[in-house]
Amino acid sequence: MVNVVNFVREHWVHILCPMGFVIGCYLDRRNDEKLSTFRNKSLLFKRELKPGEEVTWR
Amino acid sequence: MLKIIIPTIMLIPTTTMCKPTQLWYTTLIHSMLISLLSLQLFYPSLQPIMNFSNHNMAADQTSTPLIILSCWLTPLMILASQNHLSTEPLSRKRTFIITTIILQMLLIMTFSTTDLMMFFVLFEATLIPTLMMITRWGNQMERLNAGTYFLFYTLMGSLPLLVALLSLYSNTNSLSILTMQLSPTMLKNTWTNSMWLLAALTAFMIKMPLYGLHLWLPKAHVEAPIAGSMILAAILLKLGGYGIIRIMSTTNFLSKTPYYPFMILALWGIIMTSLICLRQTDLKSLIAYSSVSHMGLVTAATLTQTEWAYTGAITLMIAHGLTSSLLFCLANTNYERIHSRTLLLTQNMQLLLPLMGTWWLLASLTNMALPPTINLMGELTIITSLFNWSNTTIIITGLGTLITAIYTLHMFSSTQWGELPQHIKIMAPSHTREHLIMTLHILPMTLLMMKPELIWGPLYC
Repeated sequence: MVNVVNFVREHWVHILCPMGFVIGCYLDRRNDEKLSTFRNKSLLFKRELKPGEEVTWR
Repeated sequence: MLKIIIPTIMLIPTTTMCKPTQLWYTTLIHSMLISLLSLQLFYPSLQPIMNFSNHNMAADQTSTPLIILSCWLTPLMILASQNHLSTEPLSRKRTFIITTIILQMLLIMTFSTTDLMMFFVLFEATLIPTLMMITRWGNQMERLNAGTYFLFYTLMGSLPLLVALLSLYSNTNSLSILTMQLSPTMLKNTWTNSMWLLAALTAFMIKMPLYGLHLWLPKAHVEAPIAGSMILAAILLKLGGYGIIRIMSTTNFLSKTPYYPFMILALWGIIMTSLICLRQTDLKSLIAYSSVSHMGLVTAATLTQTEWAYTGAITLMIAHGLTSSLLFCLANTNYERIHSRTLLLTQNMQLLLPLMGTWWLLASLTNMALPPTINLMGELTIITSLFNWSNTTIIITGLGTLITAIYTLHMFSSTQWGELPQHIKIMAPSHTREHLIMTLHILPMTLLMMKPELIWGPLYC
């Protein structure tokens, strides 16, 4: 137990960069989703999805 | 894009809080991981789309290679500075590493922003960490003078750029590259527009640097510490080329006459700076002038605005970034042993450091653009497009290539061959760390030879 605590105390700084990557990935994905918010919502260009088609564009 | 920027920001607390004994390898490994992570930007660059992160950040095929190069250079800078900083106290080591990390962060943001005004702000912001690096960690007293030159040359050029961008904004109501690329602003051949172009291009021409506006560069390069020289040669000069490409692609000048003065200076500069290289006694200064000469080709290419020219410009920027950074590292290994940059004092080094001689040979061969290096691909594409623009340029570019080969061979022969100087009594052996730096420079160049379309720019797809 003491070893684990010691290990964490010695090496906890190494988690900061990977944590940044995870946060960045999450924010990037959220932004990607935001870019497709209005996908197939336009009244003029809206169309029915073909069978088996999930979205109009990716 | 945020998945590269946020880990880079998190590297700052990592540097401040990690244990003193772990400082170098922690920062090195984490920054290396970030640079490997940045390689995923290449994936969408194989398709003709922009890699969006949000509304303000996107990377296309022009900026992707430069972003990856700036990520790649940070671990190399950290690796190269270890010996230079070994006598400094811990807090200054941390400050130095943080400065390089901030510089990397600013560079990624500069290359990935989609707004020209944001680009301007970040372009200026990169000055601060670089200036700190030069004036604080340089080796001699002259570094202060070099810092002043560096700062004021760049600032003098960027004020007109700010005015030009503001006037463009008031005309077009947008400075977003994404929208402006779709409908480039047509500029008629009037005096006002010529002045606008002059104002917009001067900042980038100073940064490139164009012959005549280049005096800050040899000073800054010579006085900067090794990390400063590396980042200056590899990335900061390319900011100029990148800026010109961006400005050119968003505005369409109907007459080509206003480009002629820049073109003449760029082409003339190739010959002049190559000739200056021939009579240099200072190794770092020689490499700095060789950068000016190569960048002259890039300037001329970006001004012709043809597809081949852009492809060549981006390829040569990346190739030269890696090559000149490698040459500076090699010069630094000599400097750390002899404590002088003078060419005459480091003769016959291949007898003392044979493996380093191999790196010198490889670096010289890439610098003089021997096949099959990417330097050759870049130069050849640029020379062809310039020939297409005007046949007589072949005389200048051909002569430039010839003199480049001569001064590179001169540099190689005067460091590696000749008589061993009498003053060398004790010589430290080369370290694995140094060989690792050289390998990490050569490796991407070799890999890019296999797949050069990664750095061929947007018009290749």
